[in-house]
Amino acid sequence: MNRYALSIGGLVSVALLIVLMAGLGRDPKRIDSPLIGKPAPQFTLKRVGGRESVELAAFRGRPVVLNFWATWCAPCWEEHPILNESSRALGDRVQFLGVVFQDDEAKILGFLQQRGAAYPTVIDDRGKTAIAFGVGGVPETFILDASGTIVAKHDGPISAEQLQSYLAEVLPR
Amino acid sequence: MILALLLLLNTPPQGDELARQTQEIASRLRCPVCQGLSVADSPSEMAVNMKTEIRDLLARGYTREQIERHFVRSYGEFVLLAPKFEGVTALVWILPIVALLAGALIVRTKLRSLTAAPKTRNDDPDLARVRELVKGTTS
Repeated sequence: MNRYALSIGGLVSVALLIVLMAGLGRDPKRIDSPLIGKPAPQFTLKRVGGRESVELAAFRGRPVVLNFWATWCAPCWEEHPILNESSRALGDRVQFLGVVFQDDEAKILGFLQQRGAAYPTVIDDRGKTAIAFGVGGVPETFILDASGTIVAKHDGPISAEQLQSYLAEVLPR
Repeated sequence: MILALLLLLNTPPQGDELARQTQEIASRLRCPVCQGLSVADSPSEMAVNMKTEIRDLLARGYTREQIERHFVRSYGEFVLLAPKFEGVTALVWILPIVALLAGALIVRTKLRSLTAAPKTRNDDPDLARVRELVKGTTS
Protein backbone atom coordinates (compact mmCIF):
# COMPACT_ATOMS: atom_id res chain seq x y z
CA MET A 1 0.00 0.00 0.00
CA ASN A 2 1.58 3.30 -1.01
CA ARG A 3 1.41 6.60 0.81
CA TYR A 4 -1.11 8.05 -1.65
CA ALA A 5 -3.64 5.29 -0.98
CA LEU A 6 -3.04 5.54 2.76
CA SER A 7 -3.68 9.28 2.84
CA ILE A 8 -6.89 8.91 0.77
CA GLY A 9 -8.09 6.17 3.14
CA GLY A 10 -7.20 8.31 6.14
CA LEU A 11 -9.11 11.31 4.75
CA VAL A 12 -12.21 9.21 4.01
CA SER A 13 -12.09 7.69 7.53
CA VAL A 14 -11.78 11.12 9.18
CA ALA A 15 -14.69 12.47 7.07
CA LEU A 16 -16.85 9.46 8.04
CA LEU A 17 -15.92 9.89 11.70
CA ILE A 18 -16.94 13.57 11.62
CA VAL A 19 -20.30 12.70 10.03
CA LEU A 20 -20.92 9.94 12.61
CA MET A 21 -19.90 12.17 15.55
CA ALA A 22 -22.24 14.91 14.30
CA GLY A 23 -25.05 12.35 14.12
CA LEU A 24 -24.46 11.16 17.70
CA GLY A 25 -25.59 14.51 19.09
CA ARG A 26 -28.90 14.41 17.24
CA ASP A 27 -32.17 12.91 18.34
CA PRO A 28 -32.81 10.09 15.81
CA LYS A 29 -36.57 10.61 16.19
CA ARG A 30 -36.37 14.31 15.41
CA ILE A 31 -37.34 15.23 11.88
CA ASP A 32 -37.03 18.86 10.91
CA SER A 33 -40.31 20.12 9.54
CA PRO A 34 -40.20 21.47 5.99
CA LEU A 35 -43.19 23.66 6.97
CA ILE A 36 -41.18 26.03 9.15
CA GLY A 37 -41.24 29.50 7.62
CA LYS A 38 -44.28 28.60 5.50
CA PRO A 39 -47.96 29.48 5.94
CA ALA A 40 -49.74 26.93 8.12
CA PRO A 41 -52.07 24.55 6.24
CA GLN A 42 -55.62 25.80 6.69
CA PHE A 43 -58.34 23.69 8.26
CA THR A 44 -61.85 23.83 9.63
CA LEU A 45 -62.59 21.12 12.19
CA LYS A 46 -65.43 20.26 14.53
CA ARG A 47 -65.05 21.43 18.10
CA VAL A 48 -65.01 18.67 20.71
CA GLY A 49 -68.22 18.71 22.73
CA GLY A 50 -70.02 21.07 20.39
CA ARG A 51 -71.58 21.26 16.95
CA GLU A 52 -69.73 24.33 15.76
CA SER A 53 -66.56 24.24 13.65
CA VAL A 54 -63.34 26.05 14.39
CA GLU A 55 -61.39 27.59 11.53
CA LEU A 56 -57.67 28.22 11.93
CA ALA A 57 -57.89 31.35 9.74
CA ALA A 58 -60.21 32.94 12.33
CA PHE A 59 -57.20 33.37 14.65
CA ARG A 60 -55.19 35.41 12.15
CA GLY A 61 -53.77 38.50 13.86
CA ARG A 62 -52.41 36.78 16.97
CA PRO A 63 -49.90 33.99 17.58
CA VAL A 64 -51.30 30.45 17.78
CA VAL A 65 -50.06 27.47 19.77
CA LEU A 66 -51.35 24.46 17.87
CA ASN A 67 -51.05 21.28 19.90
CA PHE A 68 -51.64 17.81 18.37
CA TRP A 69 -52.47 15.28 21.05
CA ALA A 70 -54.56 12.24 21.99
CA THR A 71 -55.99 10.86 25.23
CA TRP A 72 -54.06 7.56 24.85
CA CYS A 73 -50.74 9.42 24.80
CA ALA A 74 -49.14 9.59 28.26
CA PRO A 75 -46.72 12.47 27.47
CA CYS A 76 -49.78 14.49 26.38
CA TRP A 77 -51.15 14.23 29.95
CA GLU A 78 -47.83 15.59 31.18
CA GLU A 79 -47.95 18.75 29.07
CA HIS A 80 -51.71 19.36 29.33
CA PRO A 81 -51.55 21.37 32.62
CA ILE A 82 -48.67 23.46 31.21
CA LEU A 83 -50.66 24.36 28.10
CA ASN A 84 -53.79 25.06 30.16
CA GLU A 85 -51.95 27.27 32.62
CA SER A 86 -50.10 29.17 29.85
CA SER A 87 -53.33 29.75 27.95
CA ARG A 88 -54.99 31.19 31.07
CA ALA A 89 -51.98 33.39 31.81
CA LEU A 90 -51.63 34.74 28.27
CA GLY A 91 -55.35 35.32 27.68
CA ASP A 92 -56.13 36.91 24.30
CA ARG A 93 -52.49 37.59 23.48
CA VAL A 94 -52.00 34.02 22.27
CA GLN A 95 -54.59 31.58 20.92
CA PHE A 96 -54.15 27.98 22.04
CA LEU A 97 -55.84 25.26 20.00
CA GLY A 98 -55.78 21.52 20.59
CA VAL A 99 -56.14 19.09 17.68
CA VAL A 100 -56.94 15.52 18.67
CA PHE A 101 -56.60 12.69 16.20
CA GLN A 102 -56.86 8.89 16.29
CA ASP A 103 -59.19 9.21 19.25
CA ASP A 104 -62.77 8.94 20.39
CA GLU A 105 -64.81 12.08 21.13
CA ALA A 106 -66.36 10.69 24.33
CA LYS A 107 -62.90 9.90 25.71
CA ILE A 108 -61.63 13.38 24.79
CA LEU A 109 -64.59 15.01 26.51
CA GLY A 110 -64.04 12.91 29.64
CA PHE A 111 -60.35 13.84 29.66
CA LEU A 112 -61.06 17.58 29.27
CA GLN A 113 -63.78 17.57 31.93
CA GLN A 114 -61.44 15.87 34.35
CA ARG A 115 -58.25 17.81 33.58
CA GLY A 116 -59.55 21.18 32.46
CA ALA A 117 -59.95 22.90 29.11
CA ALA A 118 -58.78 26.51 29.01
CA TYR A 119 -58.84 26.62 25.20
CA PRO A 120 -60.79 24.99 22.34
CA THR A 121 -60.06 21.48 21.15
CA VAL A 122 -61.03 20.17 17.72
CA ILE A 123 -61.17 16.63 16.38
CA ASP A 124 -59.32 15.57 13.26
CA ASP A 125 -61.39 12.51 12.38
CA ARG A 126 -59.56 11.21 9.33
CA GLY A 127 -56.17 12.61 10.28
CA LYS A 128 -56.09 14.90 7.23
CA THR A 129 -54.95 17.93 9.24
CA ALA A 130 -52.30 15.89 11.03
CA ILE A 131 -50.99 14.72 7.65
CA ALA A 132 -51.04 18.29 6.27
CA PHE A 133 -48.89 19.36 9.24
CA GLY A 134 -46.55 16.38 8.81
CA VAL A 135 -47.38 15.02 12.27
CA GLY A 136 -45.47 11.81 12.98
CA GLY A 137 -46.58 11.22 16.57
CA VAL A 138 -48.18 12.94 19.51
CA PRO A 139 -47.67 15.29 21.18
CA GLU A 140 -46.40 17.76 18.61
CA THR A 141 -46.77 21.51 18.99
CA PHE A 142 -46.58 24.14 16.26
CA ILE A 143 -46.04 27.83 16.99
CA LEU A 144 -47.63 30.18 14.46
CA ASP A 145 -46.97 33.90 14.33
CA ALA A 146 -49.73 36.50 13.95
CA SER A 147 -49.63 36.18 10.14
CA GLY A 148 -50.25 32.42 10.29
CA THR A 149 -46.68 31.38 9.44
CA ILE A 150 -45.22 28.35 11.22
CA VAL A 151 -42.17 29.54 13.15
CA ALA A 152 -41.42 26.45 15.23
CA LYS A 153 -42.32 22.82 15.75
CA HIS A 154 -41.79 20.98 19.01
CA ASP A 155 -41.77 17.16 19.16
CA GLY A 156 -42.74 15.52 22.44
CA PRO A 157 -44.12 17.05 25.63
CA ILE A 158 -43.42 20.76 25.92
CA SER A 159 -42.19 22.37 29.14
CA ALA A 160 -43.22 25.82 30.39
CA GLU A 161 -39.71 27.14 29.68
CA GLN A 162 -39.69 25.77 26.13
CA LEU A 163 -43.12 27.25 25.44
CA GLN A 164 -42.02 30.60 26.83
CA SER A 165 -38.91 30.56 24.65
CA TYR A 166 -40.96 29.79 21.49
CA LEU A 167 -43.52 32.47 22.31
CA ALA A 168 -40.81 35.08 22.84
CA GLU A 169 -40.20 34.80 19.06
CA VAL A 170 -43.79 35.61 18.13
CA LEU A 171 -45.04 37.97 20.83
CA PRO A 172 -44.49 41.73 20.34
CA ARG A 173 -41.74 43.00 22.64
CA MET B 1 -60.03 13.28 -31.29
CA ILE B 2 -56.89 14.50 -29.49
CA LEU B 3 -59.03 16.14 -26.80
CA ALA B 4 -60.95 12.91 -26.30
CA LEU B 5 -57.66 11.02 -26.00
CA LEU B 6 -56.35 13.53 -23.43
CA LEU B 7 -59.56 13.24 -21.44
CA LEU B 8 -59.27 9.46 -21.55
CA LEU B 9 -55.67 9.65 -20.34
CA ASN B 10 -56.63 11.99 -17.49
CA THR B 11 -59.53 9.86 -16.31
CA PRO B 12 -58.99 9.10 -12.62
CA PRO B 13 -58.55 5.40 -11.85
CA GLN B 14 -61.47 3.43 -10.39
CA GLY B 15 -62.10 0.05 -8.78
CA ASP B 16 -59.22 -2.41 -8.91
CA GLU B 17 -56.97 0.03 -10.77
CA LEU B 18 -57.52 2.65 -8.03
CA ALA B 19 -56.64 0.06 -5.37
CA ARG B 20 -53.53 -1.04 -7.33
CA GLN B 21 -52.26 2.52 -7.79
CA THR B 22 -53.00 3.36 -4.13
CA GLN B 23 -50.98 0.33 -3.03
CA GLU B 24 -48.12 1.23 -5.40
CA ILE B 25 -47.83 4.81 -4.12
CA ALA B 26 -48.26 3.68 -0.50
CA SER B 27 -45.36 1.25 -0.95
CA ARG B 28 -43.09 4.15 -1.96
CA LEU B 29 -43.92 6.24 1.14
CA ARG B 30 -42.51 5.79 4.63
CA CYS B 31 -44.96 5.39 7.52
CA PRO B 32 -43.92 8.30 9.81
CA VAL B 33 -44.87 6.50 13.04
CA CYS B 34 -43.22 3.15 12.22
CA GLN B 35 -39.70 1.77 12.18
CA GLY B 36 -38.77 1.47 8.51
CA LEU B 37 -42.17 0.30 7.27
CA SER B 38 -43.90 1.62 4.19
CA VAL B 39 -47.40 3.08 4.36
CA ALA B 40 -48.57 0.02 2.40
CA ASP B 41 -47.10 -2.44 4.92
CA SER B 42 -48.04 -0.68 8.15
CA PRO B 43 -51.26 -1.49 9.99
CA SER B 44 -51.05 1.75 12.04
CA GLU B 45 -53.92 4.21 11.99
CA MET B 46 -51.63 6.92 10.61
CA ALA B 47 -50.72 4.69 7.65
CA VAL B 48 -54.39 3.84 7.10
CA ASN B 49 -55.19 7.58 7.05
CA MET B 50 -52.35 8.19 4.58
CA LYS B 51 -53.63 5.39 2.32
CA THR B 52 -57.11 6.93 2.42
CA GLU B 53 -55.60 10.28 1.45
CA ILE B 54 -53.66 8.69 -1.45
CA ARG B 55 -56.87 7.00 -2.69
CA ASP B 56 -58.82 10.29 -2.42
CA LEU B 57 -56.19 12.21 -4.34
CA LEU B 58 -55.94 9.52 -7.06
CA ALA B 59 -59.73 9.50 -7.41
CA ARG B 60 -59.61 13.28 -7.88
CA GLY B 61 -57.17 12.88 -10.76
CA TYR B 62 -53.83 13.63 -9.08
CA THR B 63 -50.76 11.91 -10.53
CA ARG B 64 -48.26 9.81 -8.57
CA GLU B 65 -45.69 12.66 -8.70
CA GLN B 66 -48.22 15.21 -7.42
CA ILE B 67 -49.24 12.92 -4.55
CA GLU B 68 -45.61 12.28 -3.58
CA ARG B 69 -44.95 16.04 -3.67
CA HIS B 70 -48.02 16.56 -1.45
CA PHE B 71 -46.55 14.30 1.26
CA VAL B 72 -43.01 15.67 0.83
CA ARG B 73 -44.39 19.19 1.42
CA SER B 74 -45.58 18.10 4.88
CA TYR B 75 -43.00 15.51 5.93
CA GLY B 76 -39.94 16.37 3.83
CA GLU B 77 -37.89 13.98 1.67
CA PHE B 78 -37.82 11.63 4.68
CA VAL B 79 -41.27 10.35 3.68
CA LEU B 80 -39.90 8.89 0.44
CA LEU B 81 -38.53 5.37 0.96
CA ALA B 82 -36.24 5.71 -2.07
CA PRO B 83 -34.47 9.08 -2.06
CA LYS B 84 -34.79 11.10 -5.27
CA PHE B 85 -31.81 11.25 -7.64
CA GLU B 86 -31.20 14.98 -7.23
CA GLY B 87 -29.10 17.37 -5.16
CA VAL B 88 -27.26 15.96 -2.15
CA THR B 89 -29.48 12.85 -2.07
CA ALA B 90 -27.99 11.85 -5.46
CA LEU B 91 -24.84 10.98 -3.45
CA VAL B 92 -26.78 8.15 -1.79
CA TRP B 93 -27.02 6.52 -5.22
CA ILE B 94 -23.63 7.57 -6.61
CA LEU B 95 -21.31 6.91 -3.64
CA PRO B 96 -21.86 3.11 -3.39
CA ILE B 97 -21.12 2.75 -7.14
CA VAL B 98 -17.99 4.94 -6.83
CA ALA B 99 -16.88 2.91 -3.78
CA LEU B 100 -17.46 -0.35 -5.68
CA LEU B 101 -15.48 0.84 -8.70
CA ALA B 102 -12.66 2.14 -6.48
CA GLY B 103 -12.55 -1.21 -4.66
CA ALA B 104 -12.45 -3.12 -7.95
CA LEU B 105 -9.58 -0.89 -9.15
CA ILE B 106 -7.59 -1.48 -5.96
CA VAL B 107 -8.09 -5.27 -6.21
CA ARG B 108 -7.09 -5.27 -9.90
CA THR B 109 -3.93 -3.21 -9.22
CA LYS B 110 -2.98 -5.46 -6.33
CA LEU B 111 -3.53 -8.66 -8.35
CA ARG B 112 -1.42 -7.31 -11.22
CA SER B 113 1.47 -6.45 -8.92
CA LEU B 114 1.32 -9.95 -7.41
CA THR B 115 1.28 -11.82 -10.72
CA ALA B 116 3.85 -9.61 -12.55
CA ALA B 117 7.43 -10.89 -12.92
CA PRO B 118 9.73 -9.58 -10.19
CA LYS B 119 11.57 -6.46 -11.26
CA THR B 120 15.34 -6.75 -11.59
CA ARG B 121 17.80 -3.99 -11.18
CA ASN B 122 20.26 -3.46 -14.03
CA ASP B 123 22.91 -1.90 -11.82
CA ASP B 124 23.24 -4.96 -9.57
CA PRO B 125 26.98 -5.97 -9.91
CA ASP B 126 26.32 -9.63 -9.00
CA LEU B 127 23.59 -9.92 -11.59
CA ALA B 128 25.80 -8.23 -14.23
CA ARG B 129 28.53 -10.78 -13.47
CA VAL B 130 26.08 -13.67 -13.84
CA ARG B 131 24.89 -12.26 -17.15
CA GLU B 132 28.44 -11.96 -18.36
CA LEU B 133 29.19 -15.55 -17.39
CA VAL B 134 26.05 -16.84 -19.06
CA LYS B 135 26.86 -14.87 -22.17
CA GLY B 136 30.38 -16.28 -22.15
CA THR B 137 29.24 -19.89 -21.99
CA THR B 138 26.60 -19.53 -24.69
CA SER B 139 28.74 -17.64 -27.28
